[in-house]
Amino acid sequence: MARSFSSRKEGPAHLGGSTLQRQKLLFVFVGLTPILLIYGVVRIWPIIRTFSLSLFDSDLVKPEAKFVGFQNYTDLLSDDSFKTAFINTSLFALGTVVASLTLGLALALILTQFIRRSGIYQLVYFLPFVMPIVPVAIVWRWIYDPSYGLLNLFLSWFGIPKQAFLLYPETGLWAIVAMNVWKVVGYNMVILIVGIRNIPLLYSEAAAIDGAGRFGVLRYITVPLLKPVILFVLVVTTIGAYNVFTSVYVMTQSTTASGNDIKILVGEIVLNGFRYSKMGYASSEAVILFVVVMLLTLIQFRFVRSDT
Amino acid sequence: MSEESKRRLSRRKFVALTGGALAASSLLAACGDPTTAPTTTTASSATTSATKVATTATSTGFNSGFKVTSDPITLSIWADDTGMAPWYQKVTAEYTKLHPNVKFDVQAFAVRDFETKIAAAIPSDTAADIMQSGAFRKYVEAGLLPKNPDSVTKMVADPTIFPKELTDTLVFNNNYYGMPFYQGRHAIYYNKDYFAAAGLSTPPATMDDLTTYAQKLVKVDGGNMTVSGLSLRLAGAGSGIAEKFMMYLYPNGGNILEKTSEGKYHNGYNNDAGVKTLKMYIDMLYKNKTDDPKIKHDTEAFQLGATAMYARESNVVGDTANKKPDLKYSTAPMPKGVRWGDLSSPIGLIVSRSTKNTDTAWDFIMFSQQEQYLNLLLTDIGWIPQRQDYAFTEALKLRPQLAAFTFKDPNYKLFTAPAIGSFDEIETKLADRLSKAYLDSSLLNNDAGIKKVLEDAAKETDDILKKANLYG
Amino acid sequence: MSMLEFKKVKPDSLGTFGRNTQFRRELWWRIPLHLILIIGAGLMLLPFFWMFATSFKPPTEVVAWPPNFIPENPTLGNYGKVFELMPFARYFFNSLVITLTCMGTICLTSSLAGYIFAIFKFPGINIIFIIILATAIVPFETYMIPLYLLMKEFKAIDTYQGLMAPNLIMSFGIFFMRQNYIAFLPEELLDAARIDGAGEWKIYWRIVLPLSSSALAALAIYAFISVWGAFIWPLLITNSSDMKTVELALAGFQTAYTVEYGPLMAGSVICLLPILIIFILLRRQIIESVAITGMK
Repeated sequence: MARSFSSRKEGPAHLGGSTLQRQKLLFVFVGLTPILLIYGVVRIWPIIRTFSLSLFDSDLVKPEAKFVGFQNYTDLLSDDSFKTAFINTSLFALGTVVASLTLGLALALILTQFIRRSGIYQLVYFLPFVMPIVPVAIVWRWIYDPSYGLLNLFLSWFGIPKQAFLLYPETGLWAIVAMNVWKVVGYNMVILIVGIRNIPLLYSEAAAIDGAGRFGVLRYITVPLLKPVILFVLVVTTIGAYNVFTSVYVMTQSTTASGNDIKILVGEIVLNGFRYSKMGYASSEAVILFVVVMLLTLIQFRFVRSDT
Repeated sequence: MSEESKRRLSRRKFVALTGGALAASSLLAACGDPTTAPTTTTASSATTSATKVATTATSTGFNSGFKVTSDPITLSIWADDTGMAPWYQKVTAEYTKLHPNVKFDVQAFAVRDFETKIAAAIPSDTAADIMQSGAFRKYVEAGLLPKNPDSVTKMVADPTIFPKELTDTLVFNNNYYGMPFYQGRHAIYYNKDYFAAAGLSTPPATMDDLTTYAQKLVKVDGGNMTVSGLSLRLAGAGSGIAEKFMMYLYPNGGNILEKTSEGKYHNGYNNDAGVKTLKMYIDMLYKNKTDDPKIKHDTEAFQLGATAMYARESNVVGDTANKKPDLKYSTAPMPKGVRWGDLSSPIGLIVSRSTKNTDTAWDFIMFSQQEQYLNLLLTDIGWIPQRQDYAFTEALKLRPQLAAFTFKDPNYKLFTAPAIGSFDEIETKLADRLSKAYLDSSLLNNDAGIKKVLEDAAKETDDILKKANLYG
Repeated sequence: MSMLEFKKVKPDSLGTFGRNTQFRRELWWRIPLHLILIIGAGLMLLPFFWMFATSFKPPTEVVAWPPNFIPENPTLGNYGKVFELMPFARYFFNSLVITLTCMGTICLTSSLAGYIFAIFKFPGINIIFIIILATAIVPFETYMIPLYLLMKEFKAIDTYQGLMAPNLIMSFGIFFMRQNYIAFLPEELLDAARIDGAGEWKIYWRIVLPLSSSALAALAIYAFISVWGAFIWPLLITNSSDMKTVELALAGFQTAYTVEYGPLMAGSVICLLPILIIFILLRRQIIESVAITGMK
């Protein structure tokens, strides 16, 4: 395929507008078709099928056993587990977004405005982001361990008795938020650093001449100008946080976890789909999750657009 | 043109690199199989002497009546307990000695992972040839697993070989599904040193003993509980919390589900027995303070000496023999209340409908249920076989702590969770509510609060039953 | 407005220090800040250090209280156990085959599709891009069953192809490369090449790909991480033990009752090692290119 196109000899004389256009179109078509085919098979089709299942009362043998319309969705309204999961996931997303954004922004500002050689810090703070979640979650579970955990060791230095962080759903959720913040803060920091570096010096210099102090510049110039980048970070972190599953599963739901079950949306989907064999119901939960995240993303994109 | 394409190739270095890696690796994959694979019992050393062994073995030995294939095959086995891998390795190696053409690929999963896996594999006919689990019911009800061959049914239905209470759970539409294998049986584990220190010479015999013993055994050091008196199951993965609750609920006269005469069910805990049991948990946590949600629990705590007693399945005996051989402990049958008994969670073996070697698979299952291998199961792993026609004297001599699990008394009843597909959901959802209630200290001296918890949970249970057309 | 400025960022501007230095000269500001940053860095590294230290501890030390940060009697026993308990080398090899192949396909498809979405404006092409982006927000766990059934139709259960299938293309990768091309690919260069008579494929292979090598390096490690760390799909799709991956094997260390932390940590270290090495080798490209996605 590649050969036939790139080896075609055409002089500049033939490069009329329409020929060029046709060539481009052909390139796009040939280049994109196999990719879209694979993508359609391994991603789009399974997703469409999942979404369509949400209108059925599935059983193990025949997922499309009985068409029930929006019955699954109305059932969701009275499902306490789903409500808890929805609230928990939203809290998780909120906590992660707020904390990782604030910390990421603080780090980015410090590293760009106050520190000379920030490369090594960037490297270290970014490291957790590239690590696979299963081993990382196992280590964190141990850090939170009520009897042997490192965190309890630190607390004991201040005379605080041992705590079971993952046991209570209220503390457990925030313990996992803390882990997640640890994991994503470096990513947010790096993106924000670039954003800051690209603010034209002109602005801050002008402000400085006008007598704004260091923090005045940050407050009135840097942060407002960073808004589009901050919103991008918001979108990415929100999507990631709503899709949380593996870390919660490893830390609270796997067989040896010492924690209590913290309900989250993807966890509910897996539970309903796999353990209770209610694929249709699980699919309706997946659709809701998709719609919510999609709406949040669109709202955030809207902000980005109106700001630029 | 050829020159150009050559250059283009060099541009595609990174593609070539990964492509080359793939090619090289698939080559390796093709020829590099004999890497030592302990979990895969393709015992190549066994094959050399196998022919000799096979003749002697067949002459003296085992004949299930199934016709074993003479083609070279590999039977795959999936088990729902990671701890079972060593047992399968030994038994499959013995089988391969008998039939050198039959190799095995054994995989033992954590139970949650196993459930996820079969949920995808059984309906799509990609499951293993032989599977071990206690959660086949919903697949049986959906018609996705084949009923037993007649000869197996004959054996399974024989009440002298297997307890009828347990084989009843395998029946669906008058057919038996699967071979009973072992059972999750419970007993009170207790630390002998701690008992001696507290001046206790006998294990707790009644439900009231549990409370009084726990108070004597608990150790507190500067406000921190260092040893719990009785370690309760308060947290952890899903249904286990409700299962342990059920063990104490039963002697109090309740159960998670009560069966009515016409094969329908309703909740069996929204009553005095349920209140009494939940009250026991709350009192132990917040009144007597013999356990604390914040400290280590369960087997880990027991093996580390962080609890004096707790109720658990028998395989902790095998686990402890491996990990803490010096721990001085003993076991006792579950305590008495208004009634007396132990929950048995039966685990079975089944042949999938997608297997190409049904007869050989069944032959292996029959082979694996011989006395010497079940003895091995007891000593090495610690699971209690469902078979009752063997005495297992050897194993019990070697591991005296197992005696409490095989304890027999006409009044000591064996009870099981009802064999219905939606029980898992009922149990998991109840567990969810219980684990929240255990952490709620406002339930102390609050009978109305306790009743409310049980009432809400019972409504949920009954609703699930109604949806499955099983309520009555 | 700063969005527009982003177009002109040079990757190397990241590591260097800004020029308006008169703000930041004062030393007294920096010492406490460095202290805070060092403590923070310590917290970031602590879990890795803990994992590493534990992997060398004998079983008695693993549950010691208060815990030892440095093993008193360091042992390689946990690593020995990892290899003794299971054919870890085989699993490692499987993981490597799958990960490297997917890394290749992800880089290839992402750069091609990203380039097309960035440069070629045909009607409908943006809609396709948005669909691809939208599917990125659907969690994998929700559609893996239909995918599994499809794999069964393709007879890909328990094969490398099946293991790779969901990771052949990465929607984030396409998005990532598109942003890069929008930011850095000078369209004048492409037009000049066209006037010289170069075909579109030639432009792609000879101009576009070489220009994006740094972004591809960053994408490569993303691909590596996400494929290497996959757990639930390998659990479903592999049937024979020969096909297992490292992440699956790690799960085997968690027995029904207790976790064997020593071997588990040793296994985790082995699992993290390749990523750590790649990360250290490519750290610059990674951090720089990450930043670029944030721009559009």
